[in-house]
Amino acid sequence: MQKLHTRREWLRRTATAAAGAYVAGSSHVLAAAAPAAPVAVAGCKTYNPGELLSTLERMFDQLGGLGRLVKGKTVAIKINLTGAPTYRLGYLPLEDTHYTHPAVIAASVHLMGQAGARRIRLLESPSGTADPIEEVLLRANWEPRDILGAAPNVEFENTNYLGRGKRYSRLTVPFGGYLYPAFDLNHSYEDCDVFVSLAKLKEHFTAGITLSMKNSFGLTPCTIYGAGAGIDEPSEIPKGGRTPVHTGNRQPSKSAPQEKDPKSPRRDTWRVPRAVVDLVAARPIHLAIVEGVKSMTGGEGPWIREDLQPAAPGVIVAGLNPVNTDAVAMAVMGFDPLAVHGMPPFEGCDSTPQLAEDAGIGTRDLSRIEVVGDSIAAVKFDFASIRNRRRAAPLPSFGVRG
Amino acid sequence: MRWPDTWTDPNLLDLLKGTAIDSLIIGNAPGLTAVRSRAVRDGFHLSESGAPPSEVEIVKGPWPGVQTARAGTGTDAGPTGRPWVDSNGWAIRLATALHSDADVWVEAEPPGNTLITDAGYLIAVADSAAYGGRWIVSLDNPLAASLAAGKSDAMAKWRKLAATAGFFAAHKAWAAYRPMAVVGVVSDFTGDNEFFSRELLNLLARVGQHCRILPKAAISETSFASLRAAIYVDTQPPAPALRKQVLAFVEAGGLLIALPKWGEVGGTPLKSDQNPRYRLSSLGKGRVAVSTADPDDPWVWAAESVVMVSHRYDLVRFWNGGAAGSFCTMAPDGKQALVHLLFYADRNPDSATVRVAGRYRAAKMYIPGSPGATKLDLVPQKGGAEMHLPAVPQYAAVELDI
Repeated sequence: MQKLHTRREWLRRTATAAAGAYVAGSSHVLAAAAPAAPVAVAGCKTYNPGELLSTLERMFDQLGGLGRLVKGKTVAIKINLTGAPTYRLGYLPLEDTHYTHPAVIAASVHLMGQAGARRIRLLESPSGTADPIEEVLLRANWEPRDILGAAPNVEFENTNYLGRGKRYSRLTVPFGGYLYPAFDLNHSYEDCDVFVSLAKLKEHFTAGITLSMKNSFGLTPCTIYGAGAGIDEPSEIPKGGRTPVHTGNRQPSKSAPQEKDPKSPRRDTWRVPRAVVDLVAARPIHLAIVEGVKSMTGGEGPWIREDLQPAAPGVIVAGLNPVNTDAVAMAVMGFDPLAVHGMPPFEGCDSTPQLAEDAGIGTRDLSRIEVVGDSIAAVKFDFASIRNRRRAAPLPSFGVRG
Repeated sequence: MRWPDTWTDPNLLDLLKGTAIDSLIIGNAPGLTAVRSRAVRDGFHLSESGAPPSEVEIVKGPWPGVQTARAGTGTDAGPTGRPWVDSNGWAIRLATALHSDADVWVEAEPPGNTLITDAGYLIAVADSAAYGGRWIVSLDNPLAASLAAGKSDAMAKWRKLAATAGFFAAHKAWAAYRPMAVVGVVSDFTGDNEFFSRELLNLLARVGQHCRILPKAAISETSFASLRAAIYVDTQPPAPALRKQVLAFVEAGGLLIALPKWGEVGGTPLKSDQNPRYRLSSLGKGRVAVSTADPDDPWVWAAESVVMVSHRYDLVRFWNGGAAGSFCTMAPDGKQALVHLLFYADRNPDSATVRVAGRYRAAKMYIPGSPGATKLDLVPQKGGAEMHLPAVPQYAAVELDI
């Protein structure tokens, strides 16, 4: 059981270890010493509250209990609402394919409330808007009250801009960063005691997979990191998507820390995994939950030009270390967590888990990770085989979306 | 129909036989004398450009559809970065509100020497007819030339265009249906207020808000009935009687969004951490939001007003609709709702879903060129019903039994 440290302690400890390793000139030192913590795995076939609540409760208990993590604390939960709420895969609700399901959000919130969380803040930086998250949820056909009422003191904040803060919070990357040395983020990512990534189990067009770590890509406010961000200062409202982080076609607003090396590759398949690791290091994840009760194969959302299909993996993976958790989730998907660039699902990109491991955030070596609950084999849903078959076939035609 | 100047052969009037076209706007050049003579014999109403019949109000507007980039390589973006849509729906409704006895004709000509697609003509007809207007059929030059030459592909396009016009002529009763609305826009729509008020109507449609147009001179006791909000956009304070009426609406639970010139509101100030551009206060059961400065961007007002009212009260939501618009109406006897659905992109949606607020027993869909109606399955939801549309063209009407 990994002890939860305060963010300050964690940063100090990680920064010291990272600095030592880089002085030694070998990321392998860090990789070998990268933390390992238990990861809970559970089959969960439906979003029925009865099944979901008992499953999540059991998983959190297997990880040492939610109370140790959240009691008396302000908990920030980053959910995944990628893409516009008007995009669906066919006629399916967004939550059945690529959004974190509201039932999982509500169940997690409920259990955290029961475990004594003082305040629970649900965060996301939804595509190109400063609208309140509640309004985004309504457009997705969700009822925000179902989540707000799941525990006392629950609130949403749109972190795609300054939001309710008076200034942006600067969070530094303890190991120095691959792309960025630090980030200017919405205050919510600093003003919390516990940070939870509540992600969806999916493949990703650019990064191969999107699990608990990739969810952190959405921490970046588009007022600073978006295509329409202010040049000198952040824009007042977000405009455009995160193309600059993807492709490096421009720098963040000058008021924020700039890229370490503007001459580094501008390929998104090189940049996105590194940006994700920088963000995960700057804003450590205390609890990673990857929800795969229902999902999709072929990409992270319906806008991807692949043979996208709905899927029902019927599984949830949770852990106290995001790299460990994502490694187990990858194995559940039929992928090798030790895969490197060129191997599925990283045929065209670098491996985010590998980069995170090299940065000392956590190991992806399953032999070092204790899996509790169901075995990986028992819940495996073979994204990898589906991926192989899909990639052997011609691309499908593509209709109107969004 | 605007008769092409190049159509000097009276036999071309044969094209109009059996169509819904009954009026011609025709030039007075000597070469058209024979055409004019025969047109009169055939029973057409003739008028000259710029001199419409007395009972007709002309709306001059842009060619409806998604604006294409000047280079012809993509779409122009609007202030939000989303593809921009030109529609004359708002202008037709304003003309109807200001001239209730008039027929509204829409003068929207194809741009330049552009070759308009079948879908483009469908949008042109439907964008007017859905809102109770009549598009003055204006052919692009290549089509006019090809029709004069009797080319088969041009004839096929013409038949489709005529069928679309015929579809709306066959459903003339729809024009008597009452618009359904969430917000009312109060203005004199003239003078200093003309630009902002009219552009607001245009942009409210773009953000999917359904509004009731309330010219100051025509405010009645029922003007605000069933509305959630009223937007007062004039730079002059309201007359005492209007002010009293609007505040009564607020006290009964409505929301007023107004410019600073509205003056003191009274009530109890409300704390707002969402939007610093408005002073919020509660009054009776309702709320008042007065902007802190005169607005210069109607887009911001349109977008912000939707959020202040809340998407909870959306009459229509789309998924996978692309650049879509809608107009909700109610039959005079209140037994049926009719929702006009417009898809402005040339490529029609293949898996769109539409949600309509309200409780309905049954739904059927009408499409130009298709005989009869298609039954739609209703997916009941709290406060509304979803319908999964099959592949539809750029226009469809959904009739809902209450």
